[in-house]
Amino acid sequence: MTAISPAATATPRGRILNVVRMQYVNRMTFVWIPLLILGAVLVFSVVIWVMIPYGGPKYSAGSQALIWYLLAVGIQSLTLTFPFSQAMSVTRREFFFGTYLTAATTAALLAVVTTVGGFIESATGGWGLNGWMFYTAWTWDSGPLGAALSVFALAMLTFTAGFWGATIYKRFGGLGLTLVLVGIGALLIAGLWVIGRLNAWVAVFGWLASLGVVPLSLVVLGIVVVLGATEFWMLRRLVP
Amino acid sequence: MTSVIEVENLTKRYGDVIAVDDVGFQIEKDVIYGLLGRNGAGKTTVMSILTAQNFASRGRVRVFGEAPYENARVLPRMCFVRESQKYPDDAKAPHAFRTASLFFPNWDQELCDRLVADFQLPMNRRIKKLSRGQLSAVGVIIGLASRAEITFFDEPYLGLDAVARQVFYDRLIEDYAEHPRTIILSSHLIDEVANLIERVLVIDQGRIIMDETTDDVRGRATTVVGDATAVESFAAGREVIHRESLGRVVSATVLGTLTDDDRRLLATSGLDVAPVSLQQLIVRMTQRAADGRTQNEGALR
Repeated sequence: MTAISPAATATPRGRILNVVRMQYVNRMTFVWIPLLILGAVLVFSVVIWVMIPYGGPKYSAGSQALIWYLLAVGIQSLTLTFPFSQAMSVTRREFFFGTYLTAATTAALLAVVTTVGGFIESATGGWGLNGWMFYTAWTWDSGPLGAALSVFALAMLTFTAGFWGATIYKRFGGLGLTLVLVGIGALLIAGLWVIGRLNAWVAVFGWLASLGVVPLSLVVLGIVVVLGATEFWMLRRLVP
Repeated sequence: MTSVIEVENLTKRYGDVIAVDDVGFQIEKDVIYGLLGRNGAGKTTVMSILTAQNFASRGRVRVFGEAPYENARVLPRMCFVRESQKYPDDAKAPHAFRTASLFFPNWDQELCDRLVADFQLPMNRRIKKLSRGQLSAVGVIIGLASRAEITFFDEPYLGLDAVARQVFYDRLIEDYAEHPRTIILSSHLIDEVANLIERVLVIDQGRIIMDETTDDVRGRATTVVGDATAVESFAAGREVIHRESLGRVVSATVLGTLTDDDRRLLATSGLDVAPVSLQQLIVRMTQRAADGRTQNEGALR
């Protein structure tokens, strides 16, 4: 008979890394499915490019399929993995940082894959078909790192949107989520109205165009940080 | 006795509903508790507040002397798998077990493997496709193999057949004998767990109405068996909480501790004393608590 003694528990950092391992324990969700989607979309795009007789540049916006997938991953991280992490005696703080670390790793992986895809496209003149899925002149304006950063920022924003929306839904119900979305919509409309009143559309578009991909990605990451901070605040009082 | 959990004036409100009403109790180290009560009595709420999954509206909870909320020193020493536990979307049972092995420092993989075989749990099917009983088995295996110092089982038997339930009770006792720890088992199959639990905590409408050792609870009543007339004359003037008859033979469970006079009377009337069903006793106590409340409310009006 051996009495159970308080065994040494992992360090705080170790436990956050364990949350990452928990998220990746089934690598399907965070690794293989995104890559599978990307691969399938590329194959479909190539087939379509072959079918199009037009000789000029053909663009595929297929990589946005991933965006929707990451939105779903963000939602499920909260609705399913959060309650599971609670049963694993993980603190909310550990769950939050571990989950964001996982999302960032996946976003970085996607950024690398898309950038490598962009290199291949520009080297082969669009897979020899003048078809472009990864490479756009605007995102590659600041070189491959800028292009990678834009993908990373967009992936993080999508994941955060799902995670954040699901958290609002769980804490404040369907009505709460609707009110927040209506509120965001109202703010956007108000912004449009102000720009229209000031007759500033030309200036705004000029500014956006001149901003370049890197600053714009940084703005997106800034939004991610703000949403993430409110997410943390909500998660701290969330009941699974 | 050292206590591992201390609860004072714990209250939980959901709007107008009071789920837990000013409750106080202590949980002693290395004891198996039965947390008993009707559906909606507040069992799950209490357990989720103790494990910091839920929040108290008022009151104080100490686990190993500390507040459990966001406390990475305390939480890994507890394991609470809910009755309606959710798992990541495409997770299979081995994924859940591998994750549990990361977070519970005393995790025993050998025990886990043995339990998987005992419960005949399919390892290749996604958890969301498992039957209710298999889903319960996943939770039971995590609870046992994590060997946490305080383990909560929230109606762990849902959907388990009689054989699987017995496997659970047997393994629990075996492993507890080798590795004593605090276990809090919520159940309403009271007679099934009666031989397992050393202490009884009965919660009813958010209040603790009983906090005693199982033996003391049993001592509160006696079942007498024998000829109908003899049983009835013994039971006259006593509160009978349960009565069964088969032809001329009647068995009656009467409240109250037996005095020496009672024992002599039983002997001379040729009556036998049989073990009391814990379930009947607790059902009666719960009803009595409810009656008491109605009377109090009546008096207030």
